[in-house]
Amino acid sequence: MPRIRLTNLFAERIGGVNAVDVPATTVESALRALTDRHPSLTPLVWAKDGALNPVMVMFLNDRQLAAAEIGTPVGPGDEIDLVPAIEGGCS
Amino acid sequence: MRTSFNGSRSDPRAIAYARATIDLASRDVRIEDVPCRNLEDVLGGFGRSFQILAERTITHAFTPDNPLIVNTGVLTASNVMTGLRTYFSAYSPLKVSNKGLPAAIWSAGSCKFGPKLKWTGLDEVILEGRADVPVYLVIRHGEQGPRIAFEPAGDLLGLTCHEKIMWLRDRYADAHFAAIGPAGEHYEDCYMASVALSTENQLRSGDDKCRWAGRGGMGAIMGYKRVLAIVAQAPDRIAKLKPEIRDINKVASTGPGSRKFREKEKGGLGGTWSNYEPLEKFHFVPQNNFRPTGDGKPELMFRDHVQPQFVVKAESCFRCGINCHKNVYEKNADGTRGAFLAKFDYEPVNLLSTNIGIHDPRKAATLISLVDRLGMDNISLGTTISYVMDYNERHPDAPILNGARFGDFDKARELIEGAANGQFPEVGRGVKRLSEQLGETGYAMHCKGLEFPAYQPDTNPGYPWAIAGGHMSMATYMALALEGNTSLDYWATLITERGLYFVRDDLLGLCKFAGVTGDHAVEGLKHEIGFEVTPAELQAAVRRAFVRALWLERKQGYDRSDYTLPSEVFDRPNPNLGVPPFVTREFFSQLSDRVWAVFDREIDEIAKT
Repeated sequence: MPRIRLTNLFAERIGGVNAVDVPATTVESALRALTDRHPSLTPLVWAKDGALNPVMVMFLNDRQLAAAEIGTPVGPGDEIDLVPAIEGGCS
Repeated sequence: MRTSFNGSRSDPRAIAYARATIDLASRDVRIEDVPCRNLEDVLGGFGRSFQILAERTITHAFTPDNPLIVNTGVLTASNVMTGLRTYFSAYSPLKVSNKGLPAAIWSAGSCKFGPKLKWTGLDEVILEGRADVPVYLVIRHGEQGPRIAFEPAGDLLGLTCHEKIMWLRDRYADAHFAAIGPAGEHYEDCYMASVALSTENQLRSGDDKCRWAGRGGMGAIMGYKRVLAIVAQAPDRIAKLKPEIRDINKVASTGPGSRKFREKEKGGLGGTWSNYEPLEKFHFVPQNNFRPTGDGKPELMFRDHVQPQFVVKAESCFRCGINCHKNVYEKNADGTRGAFLAKFDYEPVNLLSTNIGIHDPRKAATLISLVDRLGMDNISLGTTISYVMDYNERHPDAPILNGARFGDFDKARELIEGAANGQFPEVGRGVKRLSEQLGETGYAMHCKGLEFPAYQPDTNPGYPWAIAGGHMSMATYMALALEGNTSLDYWATLITERGLYFVRDDLLGLCKFAGVTGDHAVEGLKHEIGFEVTPAELQAAVRRAFVRALWLERKQGYDRSDYTLPSEVFDRPNPNLGVPPFVTREFFSQLSDRVWAVFDREIDEIAKT
């Protein structure tokens, strides 16, 4: 199964879980499976019109995907990262 | 830290930390092992320092009784990547209650000063009193333990932060440095002075590449104490990397938590600078004193627009694989890298360019570099300058100071120099005081005396509950853009249940940019110091530390009137923001009731302890 890796922004809503394995054949179906299992993540992942939240960025195995590539096929061992495009602070 | 576990490996009292208390007036030094009283003491940072500050009664920041606590987190100098934090804590000259009492604050900075301090054998240094002449302190690792010397600092007077550090570098090998600049020396007129921390890159290259403990005026406290610099000299004592920590570091450097800060070619999004693009989609990028115009000019500071004109190189703190520093250099005619100009992070870039009406990256770099050299917090300073410009736009016939208006680079530079050298105390003392003097507080962009970072207050009703700066101590500043939720339930829950845990790394000694998971933080404690704690216990300690900070604010006179937003947020909604205004007086009043219903109870509990 593909694995979705999550930042603390997501993990803090689902008991500190930072990775979720989901049965899926595309990035989109993986993200749908994620929010089906953890509905509290829905507003972070999906916009109100059902499209990907425009402030989230997807990565598949280290490659950044454009929003239009959400249908990209995935399989066992693939890693999907969902990352907020806004974070602040100074090091 | 010294551990003496006797059976249980989760008893804080089995751990002691090494503290030096330095009386600057008498030059007495006391070094002792201090047993931890609770988990916050073990974790360190503000979790420990605020317990010390709570024991004091301080009515003015510039008094000998106000200590400057320089400490580390439990994972500072560990093998956990980004374990580099140094914390400076004191009662702040800048963050004050409406009753005029100073509030406790901490400010954090990265790179190798913290580890070097720890390798001298100390976890914490408390500077008490005030030196009778300017000095710098040399803390050395010795065979019999840490040694501390006072040195005359006459040669350092008037030098910039970077110049002080270079002067010290040439005299102290295998050392790192904390230094104030001219602003800290003019502490009476510049409450927003910062503390510069040296970096490996800086010491090697000679470029002005300090890291900063910027917020809350800790450089002003150091200046008041007449300590111009601190030297931490010790050989590196890096332990063998354990496989468990290697795994944690691999996730920190290649996992999702740090992607925002890594370079695009390394699977990242390019650093905080890249906040411009997603925020501008909603016209959330502050312009002209937090009044976005919707004219598209913020796009001129997008990285993709700036990069072709310069060389942007991603560099890093000591042993960090994230490379979050986006350093901007001149581009030579042949395309190679020229002189270093400035480090571009979203907040300083915005507040010293777009938000003061300047849309030129070279001018932004000049101002950022100038503020850094003079040793001030670029957030507090940028936001105060934008207020001055706003005031002058509103009063064209009776401008203040040098008459600076939006877009005036030369006058912005004058205000910066004047804030640092004492010529413009109206600027150096921050926007709260200036706006109160002028009787126009409605567009002074601060909460509790601490200026806003580069995020619109119209989008963040959580600002008032931030305890040490709006984007470092309450994770609500980007919530509207992320989720678009404007319900009362959402905001009350966000502030009281999730946003406050953003300060976890301000105890541990880690950088937020690593995005270390809760499980990994616990693993780090276990494998680096042998201390066993559950994620729930860690979270409870962070919450106690946060609530203790709110209690400390209350102790310093803060009441409901302090926890609010600038009145124009309520009274003058900005039609250019990409969302309908939702932070009305009624909404905010109800939100306050909800938030305080949670925190009041917990503050009462903390007060009993």
